[in-house]
Amino acid sequence: MLSPKSPKRLEHVVGATGSVILGKEGQIRLALACLLAKGHLLIEDLPGVGKTTLAHALAQLLGLSFQRIQFTSDMLPADIIGVSVFDRDSGAFRFHPGPVFTHVVLADEVNRATPKTQSALLEAMEERQVTAEGQTRPLPEPFFVIATQNPSTQIGTYPLPESQLDRFLMRIELGYPDRAAERELLAGVDRREVLAGLQPCLSPEELLTHQKAVRAVQVAEPLIDYVQALVAQTRESPDWQVGLSPRAALALLAASRAWAWLEGRDHVLPDDVQAVLPGVACHRLHAAGESAARLTPTEVATRLIEAVPIP
Amino acid sequence: MRLTAAVQERFIRWALRVHPPEPAPVVLTQRRVYVLPTRAGIGYAASLVVMLLGAMNYNLSLGYALTFLLAGLGVTAILHTFRNLAYISLAPGRTEPVFAGDSARFTLLLHNMRSDERRQIRLHLAGGMPATAEMVDVAARSSAAVRLGVAATERGWLALPRVTLDTIWPLGLIRAWAYAAPDARCLVYPRPANATVPPPPASGGRSGGAANMPAGSEDFLALRGHQLADPPRHVAWKTAARLGADAPLMTKQYADPAAETVWLDWDALPAAMPAEERLSWLTRWVLDAHAAGLSWGLRLPGAQLAPAGGEVQLHACLRRLALHGKE
Amino acid sequence: MAKSKPQAVTPSQTWWLLAAALSALLPLTPHVPYWLSALALTLLGGRAVLNRTQRRLPARFWLILLTFAGSAGVLAQFRTLFGQNPGVALLVLFLALKPLETRTRRDGLAVIFLCYFLVLAQFFFAQSIATAAMTVATIVAVTAALGSLADGRARPADLLRRSGLMLLQAAPFMLLLFVLFPRVQGPLWGLPRDAFSALTGLSDSMAPGSISNLSQSDAIAFRAKFSETPPRDLLYWRGPVLTEFDGRTWRPEGRLALPRLAYAPQGPLIEYEVTLEAHAKRWLFALELPGNLPSDSLMTGDYQLLARTPVTTRLRYSVTSHTAMAAGREESSAVLQRALALPGDFNPRTRALGQGWRDQDKTDEAVLEAATRFFLTQGLSYSLTPPLLGRHGVDEFLFESRQGFCEHFSGAFVFALRAAGLPARVVTGYQGGETNPFDGYFTVRQYDAHAWAEVWLKDRGWTRIDPTALSVPSRISQNLAAAVPAGSPLPLLTRADLAWLRELRLRFDAVANTWNQWVIGYNPERQREFLNRLGMRAPDWRQMTATLAVLAGLVLLGLTAWALRQRRRVDAAQRAWLRLGRRLGRRGLPRTPWEAPLAYADRIAVRFPESAAEIRAISALYGRVRYGNLDPVLLDELKTRIARFQP
Repeated sequence: MLSPKSPKRLEHVVGATGSVILGKEGQIRLALACLLAKGHLLIEDLPGVGKTTLAHALAQLLGLSFQRIQFTSDMLPADIIGVSVFDRDSGAFRFHPGPVFTHVVLADEVNRATPKTQSALLEAMEERQVTAEGQTRPLPEPFFVIATQNPSTQIGTYPLPESQLDRFLMRIELGYPDRAAERELLAGVDRREVLAGLQPCLSPEELLTHQKAVRAVQVAEPLIDYVQALVAQTRESPDWQVGLSPRAALALLAASRAWAWLEGRDHVLPDDVQAVLPGVACHRLHAAGESAARLTPTEVATRLIEAVPIP
Repeated sequence: MRLTAAVQERFIRWALRVHPPEPAPVVLTQRRVYVLPTRAGIGYAASLVVMLLGAMNYNLSLGYALTFLLAGLGVTAILHTFRNLAYISLAPGRTEPVFAGDSARFTLLLHNMRSDERRQIRLHLAGGMPATAEMVDVAARSSAAVRLGVAATERGWLALPRVTLDTIWPLGLIRAWAYAAPDARCLVYPRPANATVPPPPASGGRSGGAANMPAGSEDFLALRGHQLADPPRHVAWKTAARLGADAPLMTKQYADPAAETVWLDWDALPAAMPAEERLSWLTRWVLDAHAAGLSWGLRLPGAQLAPAGGEVQLHACLRRLALHGKE
Repeated sequence: MAKSKPQAVTPSQTWWLLAAALSALLPLTPHVPYWLSALALTLLGGRAVLNRTQRRLPARFWLILLTFAGSAGVLAQFRTLFGQNPGVALLVLFLALKPLETRTRRDGLAVIFLCYFLVLAQFFFAQSIATAAMTVATIVAVTAALGSLADGRARPADLLRRSGLMLLQAAPFMLLLFVLFPRVQGPLWGLPRDAFSALTGLSDSMAPGSISNLSQSDAIAFRAKFSETPPRDLLYWRGPVLTEFDGRTWRPEGRLALPRLAYAPQGPLIEYEVTLEAHAKRWLFALELPGNLPSDSLMTGDYQLLARTPVTTRLRYSVTSHTAMAAGREESSAVLQRALALPGDFNPRTRALGQGWRDQDKTDEAVLEAATRFFLTQGLSYSLTPPLLGRHGVDEFLFESRQGFCEHFSGAFVFALRAAGLPARVVTGYQGGETNPFDGYFTVRQYDAHAWAEVWLKDRGWTRIDPTALSVPSRISQNLAAAVPAGSPLPLLTRADLAWLRELRLRFDAVANTWNQWVIGYNPERQREFLNRLGMRAPDWRQMTATLAVLAGLVLLGLTAWALRQRRRVDAAQRAWLRLGRRLGRRGLPRTPWEAPLAYADRIAVRFPESAAEIRAISALYGRVRYGNLDPVLLDELKTRIARFQP
């Protein structure tokens, strides 16, 4: 059992990742929390803001194997999960595992692929195993998918349906770096070099232990009350078109636990819930009303948070 | 009778103090809750008087005690009934749009901050039948949703009428009540025209026109009356031949499999048609287009919605139709 | 007022109504005719079956028929429909019938109100502590049934709890009204003749067995409060004086009663106060011989105290007595003549015996001496179950059975003296009693009923002789138990071997007496006296009403505060945290309801940089106590640190 002090090592991960992706500590923490909560991450942003770098950096720092899959419209499910090829030497079919058989998968521009291909990946995410040609093969542990998605306003995309969005624990946006960070980016060394020079801070086994510890983080009665009140508000208030599902409530709690663990605590505070709320809730919630479409995830979260007193 | 109604209305106006509608949440503070005995309460009081006289006449000391205990019970009943209603907060909940002619279901959320259950709260709307009142219990420190039906007769925004909350709990001797006018409204879509109205004319707005329509890829959809602007190759000549020269010409309509886009146009309707009826027809067409899985655009005087399909487009169009000329 | 359609009662509400009706009817069953009790229980049972099987209620015709039949039964039983007992019987009948036509909530209310009326009716028959306790249970049940009519979905336990809570809150009002509501002395209108028929006590005639019947009862006849209790052999409580004898039964002579003493009192004086239980007769009891007339009383020529009206409620009066006094030296000859009258051809042997005494001794004193000696030496014994006596009862008692109770002794003694030419009469009343050590009240019970003789001597007047005391001295010096042979059926309380029971009973009596004095006997006088003691000088109804209004207003205020209180379940840690928020709110930094602890701490830290470390520590501590493992030590630390936090 790890003590609440052990996230020190995780802090190193955050710090080191921050040296590659400048000025995005909040997003890095959310991504790491997502990983600790055994969830998957969806990053929605314009190309070129560092999505790939983030995924790569995390994989490298945690000592995990890493595969990047660039989704295109002509991609087939087999391109992800693998194919059986007739081996002439042995005279039998041999399974060639696809790129999904790795610890960290970066599914780049997932909304460029057809829904069929998308669902192959999403099924693998959910089941943590792959079924091909009647045989089930488990995926490695830990298994973490970072999918990126271009804003759906772009041409030639198949936006993920809402039911599939629900499978991502969090959705975050990276956004443009601020002026100072951008200046450092322009003036400093090549980020790719920095990335190559990163040394693992944790072993995969240690990461698994952390994931286990996160599940043991204490959630007190009043905190459950709070999460329930938040969820109830989304279901009852006219502010929202559709309320949060029970799965969303569980996700909120899991992410809050991971966040608390990252903060070095063995119990969840309302602060943790509020911190992860934009990431966890916003891709599952649709604000109602005229101005709803223009709300940013943070604004949506704020609207929800300010409607619910902490019990 | 009319005078008492007017007096009652004045009282309610005064009781509400704020002119409706009130911003949510509406908290029923103690000043807004009124109490009076019910008919059962008056009967109870009368019984007590008789009992007191009996106790006096027979010098029954315990008779006095019984009468006084029951009188005290009446007083506590006032407090319990009052307490059952006071400090409930009322907020409008999600209300789904309806079509004119249906019943709008307003959702009201009753929130109970106290750690005692509130029982038997009855809600009914001004002008509503008492029989349509909704009874609800609100558990300790939680909320309950109540749905109140209002007949939606006209398209546009339908505001929630004034709500009366009352309760006779726990003994039925006292009635406590309060008025509230929470700010809630329901969007009422126009009443869709009869399902037998003809389908929308294939308007000239069809993308690309006839020129780039791949031959043979069209699916025959229906026949309709011929209009002069229809292209000659769409006229159902075979039908015309069969029916004879006196019969009106019919035009074949085709589903466009490539874009499957139709334009629903205000101006495509006969000029003599009144506005409400036009909206009604357009509503029917929007619903049919959605049901057929088409992509459609809507043209109204001063407004236009680009062709699209799906729920979002459906509700955007219906909303535009509902609010046409009302904003 | 909202008009609503009559709401039908649900099966569960019907169960409640039946339970309420049953709880109101059961205590009354001993007081109404048996057939009516049986009918009522059958009707309720029938309604229960209908409710269980959900069958239709009987047609109105049958109910009307039953109502008429039942009323006819009551009429046949009591010969009238008016008055207390027939009234209660009719109420019982209606309450049993009403559920059979209870379809709507309003019918249910009628059942409830009838139940409350029948609770009141119970007090016609008893107002003891036990009755009161039982009625409280009934009221809780009936009120719960009333609640079920308003809230058909409530669980039974909730209804009972709510009913109990409301009655508990109603209790202060009851207390205030009870004490301060201006009392009037009833009756407001005429009482029916049959009121108080259920009371026991001495009767106005004496035949063999009439007093020994009473001796089986340990009901209380009256209580007295002495400053100093006189010796036991002086405790003769004078009741009806019986002069006329028809050979079997002794009766009082109808004589004029006047509002003054019939003699001039003399000798040492005892003052005391008597609380007389209602006995529906006019006489009052006082030690022989009374030295004053209690208010509103009269005295007959044979020195008997009478109230102006029958004593139908417990009556309290102050009286004095001269225990060593005899009176009536100047008695009129007519009176003496009547005190010598003997019916013809009864008890020839006793007549001969009396004649013999007179023949031997000429003086009255000597005759009396002879009679006394006879009773001392005849070997008469005391018995609660004397054999039945025939026509010559006195003869049979004195010469054959020789067993008797005080009525035999006194009757025989007076008969013998009259035969010897001495004017004599029987006096009935009570003898003895006992002091309750727990409240100091002297209690006289029905088994203390007694009869003795009074003989007129020329130079002394009417002189008391107790023939029972002559034959069986222990009856007077100790008590009944000492006087009868071992093994006789005795009232439990008089038996020496049950001392613990006696003590228990005495304790209970003390409580019951307090109850009687202050609750049951709380009449206009008592109210005045009590309010005087509380410091209200000369309280009149205006003053009482005003005080009542003020105090009831205060209680109401308290209950209103309770009703408006917004009780939130707040644990200790949260309370401390909210307190911090309020305190900082006064300095312009209030906590918003949705603000999480660390976020609030950050905001405070920005505003008060020098306290940043402390407030962050406090918020972390609060987080640990409230959302982590609750450690009592940490909670205390949190409280003190919050209390000390002063940015």
